[in-house]
Amino acid sequence: MKILATVKRVPDPETSIKVKPDGSGIVTDNVKWVINPFDEIAIEEALRIKEKVAGSEVVLVSIGGNAAPNDVKEQLRTGLAMGADGAILVVTDAALEPLVVARALAKLVETEKPDLVVMGKQAIDDDSNAAGQMLAELLGWPQATFASKVELSGDQKSATVIREVDGGLETLRFPLPGIVTADLRLNEPRYASLPGIMKARKKELKEIPIGDLEKAGLDVSGRTQLVKMEPPPKRQAGKLVESVDQLVELLHTEAKVI
Amino acid sequence: MINFELDEEQKLIRETVIGFARDEIRPYAREADEKGAVPASLLQRGWELGLVQGIIPEEYGGSGSEHSALTGAVIAEELAYGDLAIAMHLLAPRLLTVPLVEFASSALKRSLLPAFCGDVFEAGTAAVMEPRFDFDSSAPATVLRRDGDEYVVSGAKCYVPLGSQAKHIVVLAGLANGDGTVHPQAVVVARDTPGLRVGGREKSMGLKALETTSLELDACRVPRDHVLAAGDERAMRRLADLWHVGLGAMAVGVARAAYDYAREYAKERRAFGQAIAQKQAIAFMLAEMAMEVDAMRLLVWEAAWKLDRHEDATREAYLSKRYASDMVLRIADNALQVLGGHGYIRDHLVELFLRNARGFATLEGLAIA
Repeated sequence: MKILATVKRVPDPETSIKVKPDGSGIVTDNVKWVINPFDEIAIEEALRIKEKVAGSEVVLVSIGGNAAPNDVKEQLRTGLAMGADGAILVVTDAALEPLVVARALAKLVETEKPDLVVMGKQAIDDDSNAAGQMLAELLGWPQATFASKVELSGDQKSATVIREVDGGLETLRFPLPGIVTADLRLNEPRYASLPGIMKARKKELKEIPIGDLEKAGLDVSGRTQLVKMEPPPKRQAGKLVESVDQLVELLHTEAKVI
Repeated sequence: MINFELDEEQKLIRETVIGFARDEIRPYAREADEKGAVPASLLQRGWELGLVQGIIPEEYGGSGSEHSALTGAVIAEELAYGDLAIAMHLLAPRLLTVPLVEFASSALKRSLLPAFCGDVFEAGTAAVMEPRFDFDSSAPATVLRRDGDEYVVSGAKCYVPLGSQAKHIVVLAGLANGDGTVHPQAVVVARDTPGLRVGGREKSMGLKALETTSLELDACRVPRDHVLAAGDERAMRRLADLWHVGLGAMAVGVARAAYDYAREYAKERRAFGQAIAQKQAIAFMLAEMAMEVDAMRLLVWEAAWKLDRHEDATREAYLSKRYASDMVLRIADNALQVLGGHGYIRDHLVELFLRNARGFATLEGLAIA
């Protein structure tokens, strides 16, 4: 079976993020880039399925630049080093909104014909949590989001997915092909091994200019626009109060929470 | 042309090892130090990184990347950044496999290397230091002499990592030149060789999570091809250089760990209305640490780079190791000072960095690039 796993490049969650003074985005100088952690979980799940189902193939897909400062190839190489078989990069330097991403992925699905698409439930940079759902809609495929467990039937014709919902677990079954988006507890991604890194060098990383997909009918026009980004307000120092009455008073007049 | 940039694979390896050191090693550093052991699960996860199998040729079961001292230095630095004792434990098998890959006959490689290509951690080690005041690694007192078709090794060793676990040990011995002097010669000795006795576990100031033992060799007989690169003095110098670069790189990792810890602390800790990092007395110390960490690394990398070009790097390797062992101690000491009284208590890792840092000035052959 063929599995597509999506890879988005995001700033390392360990690094501190600064917003540009004009609010048009974040400062990207000296930012360390990593695979979106939820996508890493998606890759791991794809690899685990591959290890269970003989003859399977895992192909990574990403959309982004192929040269500094937007180069996504390093993240794809990392995924290949984890064990994926090949990678496709749709080359564009533009920041695309989730719907356009979903449309581009839909185009790739048409040509790649995977049995399963595994994606992170959301990217930790913009937290849209939308591309997976939109892709399912565009393809008319079943979807299971926020997966915490994925199991394929013996004949690989259907998938059973456990989702963590408020106050419990929900179990879904759907016929393949379909879309699964990975939640945090689905698995713990492996490290790329030194032998894996060496093997990754020989694996194919195919670049497709986004123009090629446009010629095939991809609509890259977005509907939303980034208006402004601002950092969260600085935390104020705490205040010591003398009495409960004063506390209630301040909660009412200053914090305005009661 | 000069180039300070790692290649694409080295960058990926570095990223992987950084993540492993941060998420898997560092959280266990304190526990491993107090318990005097590295958790088995951590060893297993570390083994799966393929740091040992990676450089073993495919014909012996490995994945056949070329051995690179620079890549080895990068790995050693990043693992030691997580914790020195755990890093030395994880990399101890390389003390045996690297000399085998570089210097052994194909028959010896075939008989020993496949054991290091399996799925579980396999210990290997080297016995370099000797328990005597006049120890000199360029003229070891452990005697190696030829006897017919075999060699005979006799002497005493100390600070042998994983001494009780490794099935084979690279022993540094002295082979007589005929004029009363000796030259160093590495020889592979199986632990079950008659006459070889592994001593008890040594108790050290630092490196508490790493088992080191003494070793006694009483007329241990070894086959002729267990002597590595016999008569090739240049090869033995190269081996010593690789040891020095390995330890130097680990010193960079410990120094950087201490510097990072002190810097983060200084940014958080407030006194007289501002973060202590804003005070010049602290800021200057931190700036000096940052400079020295980079300087240490450049010396180590230059030596590693020369080794990868198969040039004579003995001078560079010595200088880098000596500089790194001086600086790591100063940096760890200053880092402790930045934390003030907090630095001296075990709530913070800096005292552990300092205890570990002290070892570099005296230890030899506990790491290899």
